[in-house]
Amino acid sequence: MTILEATLGLEIHIQINTKSKIFCKCSTKFGEKPNSNTCVICTSQPGTIPLLNKKAVEAIVKTGLALNFTINKQCIFARKQYFYPDIPKNYQITQLDPPICSNGKLIIISNKQKKIINMKRLHLEEDAGKLIHEVNNKKLNYSLLDLNRASIGLMELVTEPDFNSSEEVIEFLKEIKSIVEYLNVSECSMEEGKMRCDINVSVHPVEDKKLGTRVEIKNINSLSNIKDAIEYEIKRQKTIIVSNGKVIQETMLWDAKECVTKSMRFKEDTLDYRYFPEPDLVPLNLSNSFIRNLVKEIPELPKRIKLRFIKNYNLSEHLATYLISKKTIADYYEKALKTVKNPKIIAKTLANWISTELSAKLNSFKISIEDSPITCKNLAKLVSLIVSGSITRIIAKEIFEEMWKRSQPPEIIIKRKKIQQISDELTIIKMCEEAIIKNHNAVKEFISGKNKAMDAIIGFVMKKSKGLANPLVVNKILLNRLKKL
Amino acid sequence: MINIKNLNKKICLGEIKSVDIIKKCLNCIKENDIKIKAFLRLNEKDSFIKASQIDKSNMKNKQLSGIPIAIKDNIMIKDHNMTAASKYLEHYISPYDATVIKKLKMAGAIFIGETNMDEFAMGGSTETSAYQKTTNPWNIEYIPGGSSGGSAAAVGSGMVPLALGSDTGGSVRQPASFCGVVGYKPSYGLISRYGVCALASSFDQIGVFSKTVMNVALLTSIIAGKDYNDPVCEPKGWIDYTYNLNNPYILKNLKIGIPKQLLDYKIDNDIVKVFNDAIKKLKLEGAEVFEIDIPSCKYINALYKIIMCAEVSANIATFDGIRYGYRSLNCKNLNDEYAKSRAESLGYEVKKRILFGTYVLKSQNYYKYYHKAQKVRTLLIKQIKDVYKKCDFIFSPSTLQMPVKFGEILSDECDIFLIMANLAGLPGITIPYSFSNFGMPIGMHFMGPRFSDAKLFKIAYAFEKISNFNINIFPKYLSPVLHKKDKI
Repeated sequence: MTILEATLGLEIHIQINTKSKIFCKCSTKFGEKPNSNTCVICTSQPGTIPLLNKKAVEAIVKTGLALNFTINKQCIFARKQYFYPDIPKNYQITQLDPPICSNGKLIIISNKQKKIINMKRLHLEEDAGKLIHEVNNKKLNYSLLDLNRASIGLMELVTEPDFNSSEEVIEFLKEIKSIVEYLNVSECSMEEGKMRCDINVSVHPVEDKKLGTRVEIKNINSLSNIKDAIEYEIKRQKTIIVSNGKVIQETMLWDAKECVTKSMRFKEDTLDYRYFPEPDLVPLNLSNSFIRNLVKEIPELPKRIKLRFIKNYNLSEHLATYLISKKTIADYYEKALKTVKNPKIIAKTLANWISTELSAKLNSFKISIEDSPITCKNLAKLVSLIVSGSITRIIAKEIFEEMWKRSQPPEIIIKRKKIQQISDELTIIKMCEEAIIKNHNAVKEFISGKNKAMDAIIGFVMKKSKGLANPLVVNKILLNRLKKL
Repeated sequence: MINIKNLNKKICLGEIKSVDIIKKCLNCIKENDIKIKAFLRLNEKDSFIKASQIDKSNMKNKQLSGIPIAIKDNIMIKDHNMTAASKYLEHYISPYDATVIKKLKMAGAIFIGETNMDEFAMGGSTETSAYQKTTNPWNIEYIPGGSSGGSAAAVGSGMVPLALGSDTGGSVRQPASFCGVVGYKPSYGLISRYGVCALASSFDQIGVFSKTVMNVALLTSIIAGKDYNDPVCEPKGWIDYTYNLNNPYILKNLKIGIPKQLLDYKIDNDIVKVFNDAIKKLKLEGAEVFEIDIPSCKYINALYKIIMCAEVSANIATFDGIRYGYRSLNCKNLNDEYAKSRAESLGYEVKKRILFGTYVLKSQNYYKYYHKAQKVRTLLIKQIKDVYKKCDFIFSPSTLQMPVKFGEILSDECDIFLIMANLAGLPGITIPYSFSNFGMPIGMHFMGPRFSDAKLFKIAYAFEKISNFNINIFPKYLSPVLHKKDKI
């Protein structure tokens, strides 16, 4: 039986997060009143001329540099012509040859194996507006046009067909998303359509060098849908090939409700876009100093930060992955570590607290970490107290709650709530004696050599002291007492 | 003939009232435009309001305070109707001011009316206008030329002292020559294109009409210069083009090149005669006149048509009936709406160019036509650059043919020496030089290297002085108001 292999290539559109659109001064804010972010340029009134937003050029060059692209210092824009109401000029300003960035490379790790993904091009273009065909689930017998999105800057990234599985695609997309976020050039949220992905899928027998017929899946709006769509489409094509059928080259849409790919009614492939150089814009001519300055602006990228975290702070892969999942989280973590004298001591515990307690709180209140009521400095203080044994975890959690509510440092909360640890030996001895009497079973077990039995006795003391007894002192006294028995 | 600088001075000093100028101007238009049909719209009320404001206020000290000017109907004036002489834009109201309009407003100019033109500036006779046929003021049976025929006829008949046009392939200079006025197209990038309804973006430039080089230079000084809104507009500091305009020695030892290729075309006899006379006079002034060679001249028409139509097909695509402009009713679906809205509102010439442009940009034709045309254009520019190493300016008749009667067709080659300036981004100016046997004006054309505009004006000024054309003579049947007899 022939083994079939899937080959996948991606076309990704990423909305650039500049304050204004790429060819006019209109705001790019999401969710504004329809057509409020429009002007004479982005509605294509007669006589208007596009004005290139320099910040958009900076954003794409930074991205290109971070993704190991070659930057083409001299490049031009082109008009891609087709009629549709969402592009008011009836042509889209984009780039053909050369694009601003060509031949990029990115290493991904999938199934514990490194793989290089080659990227053909990364170019600048403008987004289209939105056509609305239904309101409140009711189909209209006319269409509404919202041009707020029209002419917002986009980066289009095209990969080589270097993927063989949905896992690789997802890994790649996660990596791109994370890099773009670290560069702060896009919000990359797929839900808001700020990152959109079209996938080319083909299947061919492994021994064949030639790729199979390509099917393009458009408009998939989440990572899980991308995974489902790819897997469905690969299966569909394999079934066709196995039963000696022929895959038709076409464009399909992913139906997330029915979990199937559906053929689009019109074939985009047959359109002739009649590209030609954009005469309204002067060719881009990027200076070396322009590029050098952008190189300086590129921060340490997540992959390297992760390795550093694992190496320097002895974090698990899982924990490090969580911390770098967002630049703001990694920043929070590193800033917190900087506030203490010896960061290595608290590094692991701090990472745990961020990934569990803090992230749970942030999630439930839908607050992003940079707006956290618990500052990184205060969390570092709390963790320091835990690590030094000054407070127990139970108490720490109580203090954490108060810190969240009042946005105060731990020492103030400890003072106010009189949550002072009991370190006074006489008080603790009394509690220990009671514990020995009331837990004679555990005591017996401990004497017979079961060290674990100690936990129950300590637990009794901690409960009795409402968690306030200094666990180190309790341990010391109990050991002393038990030895004498 | 009036000197705008002097007239402006008098208005500023209060010796003449702008209101009176406007009144005379409007009376003249009312009397003559029945025959000429240069204007699509007049702004009577607005003009009087502005004029009386100027008469009262300290706005007087501006360079064009109280001076009436006609604007080609493809330039955006906020809150004014702008049709580009197309049915598609019949009810379109400009939502903003073109950069040149902003500058003119600041200079105190009064927009007396909008002038007729070929639809979307596509044509060379103003006959493709969806609204009316403008006549040549020297003989109303003849075309005024185009596409800025309305502006040229308005100035040529003395109805207004100044007018703006746009020049993509000779559209200012050809009608200027036909109507016996000075017509100037600046170097590409000298005047902002922002707010001019685009024809072919890489050739479009706003141009200026007046009866004298001095007035043209004055108006150019006001509207030229860097504009943030037009990326191709070059960063140049403000230049006063009227400064030292009168330089009696400028023609002496000036190296003037005559394209050898003129011999390859059929030129009207009257024009040949006048052209030879002009060369003789230039030599008498001490200019060195000699033949130059631009071998790629023969491709000018083909390149221009391919590149211009390609850009037209994209630029005009925005007129789709969706957001503004003419929309056909009772359409079955989106494509039907596009097709009918455009079919019902755009004229034959516009459709022809859209189709041709669409054809040359088809992916299988791109390299055969558009790409090749751009390559030849680069070659042509190089040849012209080389020629400018030998000569200072290139001199030719403005047109190779006299204006024709309505319905008759001008030859394809008529404007090629004007189009050359657009293809290479060069400045060109036509100056009325003489009359034909039939009493029609004949213009001569100087073309300089890119951004030699200031020197071009000086040469034009000197040439104007040696021309046989008396600018104070107007067609007999007209009663122009703004000239010497009225002592203003």
